[in-house]
Formats: sequence, C-alpha cells, structure tokens
Amino acid sequence: MGKHHQNLLNNLEELRKKAGLTQQELSEAAEVSRKSINAIENGIYVPSTVLALKIARTLKCKVEDLFKLP
Amino acid sequence: MTYFKRFLIVFVCGIVQIFYAAYLLLDLFGISLGWHINNHIFMFVPGLLVFVSSGILCASYYFGDKKTNNILYDEYTALRYYKIAAVGYVLNGIGIFILFSIQDWANWNFQNANNMIYQIAAFAWLTFGVLLAVFSIGDYKESKDG
Repeated sequence: MGKHHQNLLNNLEELRKKAGLTQQELSEAAEVSRKSINAIENGIYVPSTVLALKIARTLKCKVEDLFKLP
Repeated sequence: MTYFKRFLIVFVCGIVQIFYAAYLLLDLFGISLGWHINNHIFMFVPGLLVFVSSGILCASYYFGDKKTNNILYDEYTALRYYKIAAVGYVLNGIGIFILFSIQDWANWNFQNANNMIYQIAAFAWLTFGVLLAVFSIGDYKESKDG
C-alpha cells in the first residue's frame, strides 16, 4: 500500500508498476492528467467513481484491488 | 491550449488585478504616486481581461482537442479551481462585511458611496488577483514536477 488519503487506502502505485506502466501512460489511458495519477498515488486526491473505474479497466483489475476503506 | 498558455492567461489576469488593487488602495489611503489613471475607461481593464480570458478558456474547453482537454481540464484540476474560488468568495465575503461595517453611515454622501465602491473593487481585485497568480504558478509547477 502506498501513501494514503485519510478516507481511502490505495494500492495504485504497486499495481501500476506491476502492469509496467508509467504515470504518464496510465494517465493517457485513463484520460486524465499525470498529476491526477500522482495525486491519487500520494493520497492527496480521492478519484471519482468514473476515474476509479477507468484506472481499474486500464490496469485490468477490480476497483476494490486499487482502493480500500481505512 | 497548453499548461503554459493557461498559466500565462491566468497569471496575467492575476497580476493586472493586483496592480489595479494596489493603485486603488494607495490612492484611497492618500498615498500619492505622483501620477493618476486619468481616463476612467482604463478601470474596466481587469474586468475585461477576466471576461476575455474566461471566454478563451471556455472556448478551448468546448472546442479544443479532446485528448489535450482530458489532461488540462480533468477532475483534479476542477477541484483545485473550485477550492480556490471558494477561498476567494469567503475572503471577499468577510472583506465586504468589514468594509460595510467601517463606513460613516451618519454622514453618508455620494463621495463616501464612491469611495466604498472603490474599496470593494480594490479588495476583490486584490483577493482574486493574489489567488489567481498563486494558482497559476502552482498549476504550472505541478504540471512539470507534481
């Protein structure tokens, strides 16, 4: 688990690296800015449902694998 | 539209507002600059600049390249804009309340009313000018390093 937002634990960095993607590549696939991906990984920002689903689709995993409630 | 163009547009808006606010505040506090903006049409400049800049940003959002806009106008940036606007409204609300409170209502006249309008304009320009300048710098830096 990476750095966490107080309301959301995230596993994004680990799964992204496992998928062999850079932040830039993931952001392009998920149609957001690279800084959004960076902010999510560092627990600064909680993504919307749509963005969470797009990231999960790109990384071929479930949203629950990416994010968990604390 | 690019991060740099957006930075330039928003930063120029902010700096111009700060300049006008500083000019008005110094004038209101009786500090002589040795020169005056004689043509009052110039006082529309900050407002016009915001109007035109908003138009450019809106046009780029609706008619710009979709792939670029996914990056430039994503939900994280929208949240930042929303937060900065909220801070601006709060500060302006408090400032205008204070400005109304310190007026000499017992001896109210057109000169006082005129001064109050300038005070409100100066305060609003200063608040949003500083917020816009800070936001634009942060936004651009984040796009490079964040």
